[in-house]
Amino acid sequence: MLRYLLKRSAFMVVTVLAVCAMTFGLMNIIPGGTAELILKHTFLELEEIPTDEQIAEISSRYNLHDPLYIQFSRWMGNALHGDLGTSYILKRPVTYLILLRLPATMMLALAAMSIAVLIGVPLGVLCALKENKLADYILRIATLIGVSMPGFWLALLLILVFSVTLKLFPVAGYGNISYLVLPAVALSAHTTAITLRMVRTGMLEVMNQPYIVFAMSKGLPTRYIVTKHAMRNALLPVITVLGLHLGHMLGGAVVIETIFAWPGVGSLLVNSIMARDVPVVQGCVLTIVGVFVIINLLVDLLYTYIDPRIKYV
Amino acid sequence: MPLLEVEKLEVCFSTKLGGVKAVNGVSFGIEEGETFGLIGESGSGKSVIGMSILRLLPKNTHMSGSILFQESDLLKMSDRELQDIRGKKISLIPQNPTASLNPLLKNGEQISEIFERQENGNVKPWKAAIDMMESLLIKNPELSAKSYPHQLSGGMKQRLVAGIALSLRPKLVVADEPTKGLDSVSRERTIDFFKHLNEGSERSMLLITHDLDLAYNICDRIAVLYAGEILEMGTAKEILDSPKHPYTRGLVHSLPKNGLVPLEGSSPSLLNLPEGCFFHERCSYQGFECVKVHPDLKVRGGRLARCLRL
Amino acid sequence: MKMINPSRWQLLWFGRICRIPYQKVLENKIVSICLILLGIVLLLAILAPMIAPYDPNAIDLKNSLHPPSTAYPLGTDHLGRDVLSRLLYGATTSFVIAISVVGLSLVLGLLLGGAAGYYGGWLDETISRLMDLFLSFPGIIFALAIVGALGSGVLNLIIALSLVNWASYARLMRGQVLSTKNNDYISSARVIGASDRRILCRHILPNSLAPVVVLATMDIGHVILAAAALSFLGLGIPPSIPEWGSMLNAGKEFMRTAPYLTIFPGIAITFTVILFSLLGDGFRDILDPNKEETGLAIA
Repeated sequence: MLRYLLKRSAFMVVTVLAVCAMTFGLMNIIPGGTAELILKHTFLELEEIPTDEQIAEISSRYNLHDPLYIQFSRWMGNALHGDLGTSYILKRPVTYLILLRLPATMMLALAAMSIAVLIGVPLGVLCALKENKLADYILRIATLIGVSMPGFWLALLLILVFSVTLKLFPVAGYGNISYLVLPAVALSAHTTAITLRMVRTGMLEVMNQPYIVFAMSKGLPTRYIVTKHAMRNALLPVITVLGLHLGHMLGGAVVIETIFAWPGVGSLLVNSIMARDVPVVQGCVLTIVGVFVIINLLVDLLYTYIDPRIKYV
Repeated sequence: MPLLEVEKLEVCFSTKLGGVKAVNGVSFGIEEGETFGLIGESGSGKSVIGMSILRLLPKNTHMSGSILFQESDLLKMSDRELQDIRGKKISLIPQNPTASLNPLLKNGEQISEIFERQENGNVKPWKAAIDMMESLLIKNPELSAKSYPHQLSGGMKQRLVAGIALSLRPKLVVADEPTKGLDSVSRERTIDFFKHLNEGSERSMLLITHDLDLAYNICDRIAVLYAGEILEMGTAKEILDSPKHPYTRGLVHSLPKNGLVPLEGSSPSLLNLPEGCFFHERCSYQGFECVKVHPDLKVRGGRLARCLRL
Repeated sequence: MKMINPSRWQLLWFGRICRIPYQKVLENKIVSICLILLGIVLLLAILAPMIAPYDPNAIDLKNSLHPPSTAYPLGTDHLGRDVLSRLLYGATTSFVIAISVVGLSLVLGLLLGGAAGYYGGWLDETISRLMDLFLSFPGIIFALAIVGALGSGVLNLIIALSLVNWASYARLMRGQVLSTKNNDYISSARVIGASDRRILCRHILPNSLAPVVVLATMDIGHVILAAAALSFLGLGIPPSIPEWGSMLNAGKEFMRTAPYLTIFPGIAITFTVILFSLLGDGFRDILDPNKEETGLAIA
């Protein structure tokens, strides 16, 4: 077990490092650009064009002439101490900005995931039991639409119907629970549709298995067989996918957060990419990757706990 | 009064390619305490008959005829009534023990869950499960009950599955191909195990198998099935010692100890059954009538057989 | 009469194309309908310059925010541009981007995945790790970063999305190579002295086509969604090129006054993606005949 954890942690670290390195490389592709950016955002007035001397001065002050890998290792070193640099634009420590916004993103992702599970799983089971009947067809069409519809479009439609027309929920922002509803629903649509489909397929496969037929031959009631025997086996692969989706929600949250002005890490990321605020971008990417990788580890551990056939693979 | 009376059973599966008649007018009876065998190749319909008794066939199956168990017709029962019968009066020892055990549930649980529904307040389900495992000579019952199916050997799984079937002391046990795919050592063990199960018990058993040795050893009467029909029926010793129907003779002669003489050809497609006798195309005693006339099951030459040439 | 002497390559691929189960395609109603509808959409996209009633970029502030009418069947946006024309040109944009991205990531993925599966060893290890990385991580973040770094532009968008997308093709190809690599006919080819390249191209690749086709079809839909998402955020497509995502972005400011600006582009995206998903599903059913009819004994 310990060996597995160590191996896994090593892989996680490599993943995070690799992604951060790639981001760092990307952000620094334009030569000389970083110095200009810093000047533009930090020291100069709106219209001023940086002079060569200013550029040279900034470059030496922040050691921008050093080879990229040295700059990167410096950044990583600082990161290990919790110092992710300072935002060019917002002039605050990146760590502070991220920590401020992380709870909001997590709350949104968890809410969306809960919706996906609470709606997707029971409806998926229902569809499997009523295969090819009307309910099944309707729900399958709904999932098809849910998977094909752009998440941000659903968000806009929800706003159109529920905020603008019906005035039930606020359009955007952060506050009490009514602010959470629309973003969470919009974010959950894709995952709910996929969960429903996977549970349905899983149940259909499981229900044909010999152990279900045998359980029936024991004279056990149908409901009991569905819940105790079938669902457990059918949901096993769904768990891994849900874990993956939780990670993807962190990504999808990017767009949803922007629409609803939800103060999370995703909207911070988008805004800082547009503004070329490099330290913030790197900090956000590091955070998102880190959280994602940890979630995956937890999901895998959960899987080994549930399925007795697997031993610390 | 037979315990189980199957009367003109017909089972038809509807598929994209048409209707597959798996069982074609089969009738037989099983007395109390008797072990009855259904012998045949794959596709002869024997497993289908076993599953129809328990009503465990897919929903798109069309069944007609009647299966009378203690005077009530199983084919007309509702799901609730069937639940009362399954496990308690009729149970199944399935074909593939490994596939028939839920990999995510503990072994003990798979037995104890049967007891949990009974109103018998004195019986503690878990203890009853361990007792059952012990009586079937499963090694280390307490430990095995707490482990999972994949941790048991094939032989243990076979016993576990048999134990599950026998827990509530049903009157009829359907044993589906117990020796399928087993090597000769395991086969011997299984034959002994089933002998032990049936010794001195008032239980009836319907044994479904292609294994003539197994049938010879534990069955009282057998019926030979082919393309969904019974070709010959009688006591096991009679039929297997002196088979009358050409098909049965072919089967018996194909055994290794009898010379391993193969039966030419293969069983007909159930989508497209031949005219006349279903076996005539492979029969070395084929006569002119065999091609046109479909024989019915009558006593011919002292044996209940379906052949015009006897 | 001139004798046609097809080369061996041409014969090989002609045989492949003949062996496509056209019968089954036509029998499968869903696939047929999808193909017809997609054909129509594709046609509309190609013929956009001819059928569009107005110039999609023609700014006409006098007529801005006109609801749907006879003159403007789908209304106008805040700059007076005709929505219908923008939708049509947007179709062209979406298809061009999607097909380019799928094509690029397919080639990249097949190459890397094929090499990984065939040669094994450290090459396989490295590529597999890379694959896992790209597969597990939410691609939009990568794509955002890449586009952010490289700047706006159709080409950059295509590059960004391809870099994010190649991993699924790589995984597929690697799996196919691994499973067929040890088949006997490969061994016999090698014994005769066939080169690695020949084996890969002649034997392994044609047999892996089916799942690749299924994946690519459904992928086109996903890429359209991803491109729309990035354009929606304002990254990727310069505003002069009509694109469904950026139309939604522009339209969201006017939801109270002109809700149709939000509805039509979204319908266009959803409809197209549905067609590709159904088509992909249909192809999977045709090419993989293992589907059974489930007849549950329960319920």
